[in-house]
Amino acid sequence: MVDVLMAILVAGFTSGALYALATVGLSLVWGSMGMLNMAHAAMLTLGGYVAFTVITSLGLPIAIGFMGAILVGAVAGAILYFAIVRNLLKNDKSTFEANVMIATVGIGIALENAILLTYGGQPLKQPVSIAGTFRVGPLTLPWQNLLIIAVVVVMMVVVSLALGRTRMGRAIRATAQNRDAAQLMGVAVNRVYLQVLMLSGALAGICGVMVSSMTQLSPPLGNDPMLKAFIMCVVAGLGNLPGAVAAALGLALLESFVQYALGARWGFPSLLFVVIAVLIWRPSGLFGRAEIRRM
Amino acid sequence: MTKTRPMSRSAMSRSARTDLVISLVLIAAAIALPFLVDSRYILGQIVLALFYATIASQWNLLFGFSGIFSLAQMAIFAFGGYATAMLCFYFGWNVWAALVPGALGAVLFSLVVGLACLRLTGVYVALLTLAIAQTMYLLIVTDTECFVMVGSVCRQFTGGAVGFARFGDLGTRALLRAQWLVGNYAIIAVLFALTMVFTYAIVKSPIGLAFRALKDNPDYAVARGVNRFQAQLLVFGISAFFTGLAGGFYAAHFQAIGPGVLSMSQLMFIIAIVVVGGVGTFWGPLVGTVVLVLADELMRESGEFRTLGLGLIIALSVVLMPKGLVGRFGDLVHWLTRRRAKLTDAKPIDSNIVQSPAPAGK
Repeated sequence: MVDVLMAILVAGFTSGALYALATVGLSLVWGSMGMLNMAHAAMLTLGGYVAFTVITSLGLPIAIGFMGAILVGAVAGAILYFAIVRNLLKNDKSTFEANVMIATVGIGIALENAILLTYGGQPLKQPVSIAGTFRVGPLTLPWQNLLIIAVVVVMMVVVSLALGRTRMGRAIRATAQNRDAAQLMGVAVNRVYLQVLMLSGALAGICGVMVSSMTQLSPPLGNDPMLKAFIMCVVAGLGNLPGAVAAALGLALLESFVQYALGARWGFPSLLFVVIAVLIWRPSGLFGRAEIRRM
Repeated sequence: MTKTRPMSRSAMSRSARTDLVISLVLIAAAIALPFLVDSRYILGQIVLALFYATIASQWNLLFGFSGIFSLAQMAIFAFGGYATAMLCFYFGWNVWAALVPGALGAVLFSLVVGLACLRLTGVYVALLTLAIAQTMYLLIVTDTECFVMVGSVCRQFTGGAVGFARFGDLGTRALLRAQWLVGNYAIIAVLFALTMVFTYAIVKSPIGLAFRALKDNPDYAVARGVNRFQAQLLVFGISAFFTGLAGGFYAAHFQAIGPGVLSMSQLMFIIAIVVVGGVGTFWGPLVGTVVLVLADELMRESGEFRTLGLGLIIALSVVLMPKGLVGRFGDLVHWLTRRRAKLTDAKPIDSNIVQSPAPAGK
């Protein structure tokens, strides 16, 4: 019984950590610029494949593969900014929300398909993985899960330090709180948007490597984590980072319990029921506020 | 740029007259079509395009005219199709008898979705409806429990990953034999025409104005006495009826329905149609369907790049023409009339004013 419970907890915490990383990437972009990035899934996938290419095809060390995923993710974010977001921001403000969502859907499809054409549809093995387990008392923990949790915790600390302590982070938070006021105070809002998208892209890259190390690399890799990350964002209230992390962990634990108790196919529907219940009770999420966006 | 000109009575009737002329031309073209096209493949693709146009026009009613960003459109379509197919499959109903109940089932389903979305706005609606559609897809695909045995084959209640087939058709095969496709084409064309007529009536009616008011400024609309609860459920229900009906006809036309219609790419195709055609314009979905189905056929030659091209078309058209092709065309007409007015106003000093080339209507 204890074994089963521990297995569920380990699985729940690992997927919770992964979802948290995906959720933070989405929430960061939403919170600071009111943009829902539907191409996030494809950026996740891109990160996983870049790490694969660097390590397996080029034979470089794992650390460089990791850096490559981060770098390419950031570049993808920058391209997204210059090709799409910058142009849409020029248009009417009220249509931005829907337009950017539709445009990123298109980019997401195109990117996923480009990956499919380049690498083929067959699943590949992600080289960033550690085999083996270790024991703590009665518990058996796979190294891989521990690695994922550690990486995610490190990334969370990095993100919160970047947002809390640096000049860039202050500018991002100021823009999130009030874009016009920030601009009047001399914050280069457009540069902030670029930075946020690059940061989010880098997070997506890492997240992709981690997700694919748990399963396998395939072009639709990012879709499932992104859909769940959306749900977690909504439950937490879009744009709220600490809330997003809490919601990600809580819902991932719930999902792994339900999957154990009722079977795997009920995992996602149970999340849906939670989100509907939460939204009926609090339409802008558990921690979200209708007017003020906090980061 | 989006300043609305005060619409005089004559301007309104002029736009209505234009719509009437367009529809008459379209009806004539639709009647002439089966006599001009003798390729079975092309006619089949046109029937499919009519389905797309019907679904897209209803999504446009929901998103373009009422501002509800629902991503459950294909789920409602699938619900109508599945309900019709299941009524025929399990109870042996005639397809024609099952179509309206199937559509009403889709309406009920969409009202549930609408209720869940009632207190939400914008992106939250999109995310929740996307999650609902995905859940429906997952539950159907992973359904493995035997519900009935057909011969020695196990049948799931929802049809599982295979779906339903051979539950009846529209009766055109028995009636018209080799020409059955023309019969189906006529039926679907009438369905599309009726959908457009009803949509037009709704958009121009007071309730259509209420939808638009809620889209443009919800707070102000509510303050002026528009009942948001009622209007939102009404628009969900209306668009679901026609979408579900189209789903039933789709199942009947192809004599099959499966979870494939719920896939993301189908939904994206519908969204792309509306975006390229022009969100919130009456003719946009039709224009978008023609353009995208043609583009899709052209890209079929290059096979694997189809989806890639489709994604890029969506992204580029949002960036380059936020109001779609119809909006661009409107800009062009506006520019030309203004220019003509300016030319007649200004005294023609120079006799060799050349007609400058029209701007490229990208």
